Amino acid sequence: MIAASPPVIPNFGQGSPCEVNNGTFCWDWVRQHWHDTLWPALVQHVELALLAVAIGFAIAFLLALAGLRVRVLDAPIGYWADFLYTIPSLALFQLLVPFTGITVLTVEIALVSYTLLVLYRNMIDGLRAVPAEVVESARGSGFTRTQTFLRVELPLATPTIMAGVRIATVSTISIATVAATILPQGLGYPIFIALREDVFKTEIFAAGALAVALALTADGLLHLLERALTPWTRRARHA
Amino acid sequence: MTIADQFQPGTFVDAIRFIVDNIGFLLHLAGEQLELSFAAIGIALVIALPLGLWLGHRHRGLFFAASVSNVGRALPSLVLIAFGLIIFGLGFWNNTAALVVLAVPPILTNAYFAVDGVDPDVVEAARGMGLSERQVLTQVELPLGMPLVVGGIRIATIFVIATATIASIAGGGGLGDVIVNQATYGLAGVVGAALCVSLLAFLAAFLLRLLHRAVSPRPVRGA
Amino acid sequence: MFRKHTRRAARAAYAVSLGVALLIGLIAAAASTAATAKPTATPTIVIGTKNFTEEYVLGQLYKQALEGAGFKVSYKENIGSSELIDTAITSGKINFYPEYTGVIVLDLAKETSPKTAAATYAAAKKFEETRGLTLLNATPFYDSDSFGMLTSTAKKLGVKTIGDMKKVKSFTFAGYPECDKRITCLLGLKQIYGLTQVKFVQLASISVYTLLDEGKITAGDVFSTDPQLAGTKYTVLTDTKHIFGFQNVAPVVNQKTLAAAGPKFAQVVNAVSAKLTIPAMIAMNKAVAIDKASPAAVAAGFLKANNLK
Repeated sequence: MIAASPPVIPNFGQGSPCEVNNGTFCWDWVRQHWHDTLWPALVQHVELALLAVAIGFAIAFLLALAGLRVRVLDAPIGYWADFLYTIPSLALFQLLVPFTGITVLTVEIALVSYTLLVLYRNMIDGLRAVPAEVVESARGSGFTRTQTFLRVELPLATPTIMAGVRIATVSTISIATVAATILPQGLGYPIFIALREDVFKTEIFAAGALAVALALTADGLLHLLERALTPWTRRARHA
Repeated sequence: MTIADQFQPGTFVDAIRFIVDNIGFLLHLAGEQLELSFAAIGIALVIALPLGLWLGHRHRGLFFAASVSNVGRALPSLVLIAFGLIIFGLGFWNNTAALVVLAVPPILTNAYFAVDGVDPDVVEAARGMGLSERQVLTQVELPLGMPLVVGGIRIATIFVIATATIASIAGGGGLGDVIVNQATYGLAGVVGAALCVSLLAFLAAFLLRLLHRAVSPRPVRGA
Repeated sequence: MFRKHTRRAARAAYAVSLGVALLIGLIAAAASTAATAKPTATPTIVIGTKNFTEEYVLGQLYKQALEGAGFKVSYKENIGSSELIDTAITSGKINFYPEYTGVIVLDLAKETSPKTAAATYAAAKKFEETRGLTLLNATPFYDSDSFGMLTSTAKKLGVKTIGDMKKVKSFTFAGYPECDKRITCLLGLKQIYGLTQVKFVQLASISVYTLLDEGKITAGDVFSTDPQLAGTKYTVLTDTKHIFGFQNVAPVVNQKTLAAAGPKFAQVVNAVSAKLTIPAMIAMNKAVAIDKASPAAVAAGFLKANNLK
């Protein structure tokens, strides 16, 4: 141990009385730490959730196409998705760590798995619910199979599919908070740290409120998107 | 907070060995978890079932039922557990309350739509036969709506059992105690407990699915 | 059938979302493979930290000092207890983390406690060097486990040293999960002090001070630089048998990383370590734990004030 001149200890300032006494909600803490704690956590959370829903959508879409074409595949795919969904999130994250380590990949694999059930189910149900006569009349008008699918079946299935996307998005945002048990990212991480630090109420309320607000906002935006994509239903509503 | 070794197939063999070696302990933890879960579901049933059924019967409060469902889905379980700890302090109520909040929306919403969606002609016929409102609900609407009602209870139960795993960080006990605790139980223990809690969830889901099928009329039994 | 623009809109929406999804998937795959690409000439210093305030502060101090000196740093906070983070460094997932010398000797190497801080450091360094790791210079400050309780409880029980606890019929002692396997913690209380009547309570995510405040435990494993100990609410019983060992901090670093990083690396790290005295650590811990500042900001302030950044 080298002898050195004593360090200069800067004045780190005092926490406000609210912070020091763990008051129920300290606005000054939120103002001070928005940029270094809350905002980065929020951005990470949005990234994790967005990535998971996007990839889940793509995979579920492909699976739904397979399940539609090859009916015998439908039940197994459904059971597989249900199986993944039943594993408690805390357990799934930990089960994946020996395979893929403490990485965003691990978190994403788990999050995507949880979206598959709802997205797959809703895509298949939505597409299957298209009346056969509508499809036949489209084919009869000269549409090819692909054209029928893209121009008739998909738009008709959109409300059901969008309902699935809404549910998947909101639950992904919720489950992503648990990811903080293995990865220090997302809005769950400040909550964990705060629980450890004498249950610091402000941080828990702030991060928790952000998570809830994020979920409600996403739900609302997707609701608007659904209405934008299906203007004919709006006309029916106002009829 | 865990660390991964290089993946070895041995990890899962060790996990099975851990389960076998500690079966009594793990069963005890599973029991704790189920105890907490059932307490919460019981309370949620008392709160949500009568309310949902009655509102559905009166065809009132659609907005309320739908909102409860939307908001309920948006409440992350970890956040509820943390809020519970702040409000109630460490003890029995913090996790129970959080789980009740989680369980109420599916039960309430499904009960509402189950009764609300019964064929109005059937309800009219029952009234015509002289049944009281109460009797219409219990003898006509509820039996017809049973599949949806049980469906809601099924969803709530799965949620609650899964979230009870997380409740261990706020003193809730259960298998989560091992899962978050690699320092004591090693990777084998964590994986073992994770397998156990998954098994617990599957069993519950399986039994509830049986129950669901049992109350569903034959032609309606789908997934 | 349907108006042309709605068909087109729906089709476009699906195409776009599918395309976006695939694109994101590809980018994610590319990013993760890029992350595991071959290292460049100066190695990336992958810093890990354990899971409590002081480690977050230490981690930030070393991270920012190294970044300021031009090194590439990857930061993995909150990995876990010593046993876990030790696995991380021996398996190559990280190559640098701040550790306590006594913990290395007593808990990782499982040797008996040397008699002085310098001897503890030497023994720790010797142990790590058999595993492809080594220690950089130790800090002046030490932070050892301590036997803490509410001052009111200590007065009521009439205890001043840990040995005095023998007269208490039964009591609960809370500690981190690894405590009940460590001679520097519960095992030492039981075996060296003979406190066989102790009942161990495992800490989950709740701090020991919260449990003490709520009266859920009699005593708990606290740390000597905890800012909560600065006041009079809590008291620490004297460790007459020195079971908690000597616990200065020294960065554990992978030997290959040290060699590849050049002499400047060790210089920067040692310069930071030299300034970490007990008053400095208590001040920084207090700023984070009591005044709710962020570890990054506190570390930045300290480094700047001491021209280490």
